[in-house]
Amino acid sequence: MFLALREIRRARLRFGLLAGAIGLLVFLLLFQLTLLNSLLDAFTGALENQSGEIVVYSEDARLSLEGSLVQPDQLEAVAGVDGVAASGPLGVNTFTVTAGGTQQDAALFGYELDGPGEPTTLTDGRLPERDGEGVAPAADAEDGYAIGDVIELAGGAVTIEIVGVADDIQYSVQPTVFVSWPTYEAASTAVNPNARAVLASVVVAQPAEGRDAAEVAEAIDGAVEGVEAVTRQAAVDESPGVTSVSQSFQVIFLLLYVVVTLVAGFFFLIVTVQKLDALVLLRAVGAPPGYLVRSLLVQVGIVAVAGVLLGVGLAVGVLAGVSAAVPSAELFVIPSFGPTAQAALLVLVLVVAASAVSVRRVLKADPADAVGKATFGGLG
Amino acid sequence: MRLALRELWRRPGRFAIAGGVLTFITLLLLFLGGLLDGLYLGSTGVLRAQEPALVVYADDARLSVIRSQLDAPTREAIEGVDGVEATYGIGVSLLAALPPGADAGSDDVVDVAVIGYEGGVAGVDDPPAAGEAYADSTLEGDVDVGDTLEIGPENVPVEVIGWVDDTSYLNQAGLWVEAATWREILAASIPAAAVGEDTFQVLTVEVAEGADADEVAAAIDDATGTTETVTTEEAILALPGVSQQTSTFNAIIGTTFFIAAVVTALFFALVTIERVALYGVLKAVGASSGQIAAGLAAQAVTVAVGSFLIGGALMLLAAQVLPDSIPLRLEVSRAVQSLGGLVLASVVGAAISFRRVIRIDPASAIS
Repeated sequence: MFLALREIRRARLRFGLLAGAIGLLVFLLLFQLTLLNSLLDAFTGALENQSGEIVVYSEDARLSLEGSLVQPDQLEAVAGVDGVAASGPLGVNTFTVTAGGTQQDAALFGYELDGPGEPTTLTDGRLPERDGEGVAPAADAEDGYAIGDVIELAGGAVTIEIVGVADDIQYSVQPTVFVSWPTYEAASTAVNPNARAVLASVVVAQPAEGRDAAEVAEAIDGAVEGVEAVTRQAAVDESPGVTSVSQSFQVIFLLLYVVVTLVAGFFFLIVTVQKLDALVLLRAVGAPPGYLVRSLLVQVGIVAVAGVLLGVGLAVGVLAGVSAAVPSAELFVIPSFGPTAQAALLVLVLVVAASAVSVRRVLKADPADAVGKATFGGLG
Repeated sequence: MRLALRELWRRPGRFAIAGGVLTFITLLLLFLGGLLDGLYLGSTGVLRAQEPALVVYADDARLSVIRSQLDAPTREAIEGVDGVEATYGIGVSLLAALPPGADAGSDDVVDVAVIGYEGGVAGVDDPPAAGEAYADSTLEGDVDVGDTLEIGPENVPVEVIGWVDDTSYLNQAGLWVEAATWREILAASIPAAAVGEDTFQVLTVEVAEGADADEVAAAIDDATGTTETVTTEEAILALPGVSQQTSTFNAIIGTTFFIAAVVTALFFALVTIERVALYGVLKAVGASSGQIAAGLAAQAVTVAVGSFLIGGALMLLAAQVLPDSIPLRLEVSRAVQSLGGLVLASVVGAAISFRRVIRIDPASAIS
């Protein structure tokens, strides 16, 4: 232990560089992990946190909310399927709105107030009770979406008063306001007087009590032509973009974990090989192999913990800095404890596992070699 | 320098450690760069193909093509502005298309961006006849020339009559049709977004020779009072997510280069410690610190280039097995940029050891 610490003190640059490399890799990992989680929440939060347990798309939309348009006869047919307790239209579109005195992009989610589709994560205020009222994401409150604020569309032709705020109800990384279906219709026709009809993007439905949502979705698929019905969770998980974003990030994470393992493993292997003569000598003067292995593991532990702490510190510092400097950069939030701890723990485990080759090398150091080495006064 | 390269040649295994790590860092760099290029090129093809210098939007569209509408009187006002040589209308609708024999809802359905246009597009001929389209070549394999695609929920038929390259929009393959066909498809498929006759979503503006594009843009907005005119480059960056993606990925790629430099620094720091005695001897027989440092730099460059070549080959193989849903595009320019960055990072990393080399005393050879 004493030797391990003294060696680190004497070779600060080497051990510092390794801890720095691990720290940077951990930083990169946490930065991207945070980005992925915020991105997925901001992409599909509104869909995930609305009350309809079943989402029915037009068949050719392949679960894309933007690409789906449900015809009135399909909307009616879904309501008549056995096992559907309630159903209604959900309209989704992006509009230019004036909020907080500035023009912004915002999505409207229009649903029937007495039907499914309302936001389920209300944190303050109330749900809309009449046309012209809306619930907005709590995260956007400061940008003109706080309770009592009024947002305008089409130069004031349609106004929406925010009466409640809810958590995680963004869609496509933009402010999203849940409004009544007639308000959504009015907004659609106000921004485009040429509009011929305002159709629902999807149908949202509730299964009857005691019925399984997946089974009812299957029944809808079988009974209504030209639609694809899935559970709410499937709609979120299989949204276009979500799969490709997740898969892309998984490849990046895999490469980062491989690099961190290789860097740590090879570093300790080189250092061990470089001091093999000294290890042989220590063994020859009576140091037990366990002592040498413990010394190595202490170094591995110190470097790994220092690297992880550096990485976590960097990630928290940089992300907090970015989110403070650019309030609109909502994707850059301080990493949450669970995923951070998980990633940090995995890096620690990988670094320790990577030192296994070096441990083996230490255990193979034969004290008898000391008398054979010319450098130790042996015959060589 | 020769000695350093000979060492590399004779004992390549010694450098395998740094090479192995740099190979994986190369993979990471190429994957990140490929993702960025895939997202950027796949999103921006339609706007990058526009030859005119300016793009005009309705001012309440906030530079969103899909939310913008410009009618005939507005166009007339734009065409009357000094410095405007010609205008071309553009309209884009993102829809699903059904190739012949495909089932709706199956994986055979293709995502397309139906683009109504009038001209001024590089690599795309003048608009085809009504009901015909030039298709982006990313659809090749799913669609053949002569196929009739059924567009949108109302299955509007459009026949593909030829291919065009690199014209995707928001990662959906471009399908170039004449303006009336686009309006018909839009009204049938997305009735709420239907536009009136002679209305386009945006106009591209060719600036007269000698006129300043920025001044013309300002004059257009003054003349209409209802438009926002930007350069084509600004229009590209205004596409949803493009500038955010680019800056985020560039930050990640920059950090990865930094990691490459740290890893190289670590490796050469260890190698230098091992060779202190040897360098002492070399200095004693007349080698200068500069020569030894140059040797280290040469080794760093060789290891970086070798790792890049292996990593690049592995990336090409990986690209064959990665799922299609990952929007990866491996571009030569990105590879050259990554190689340059990796070599630079490696030399900078190796330079950390130069200080130690300079401090080696030749007298240590006899002590």
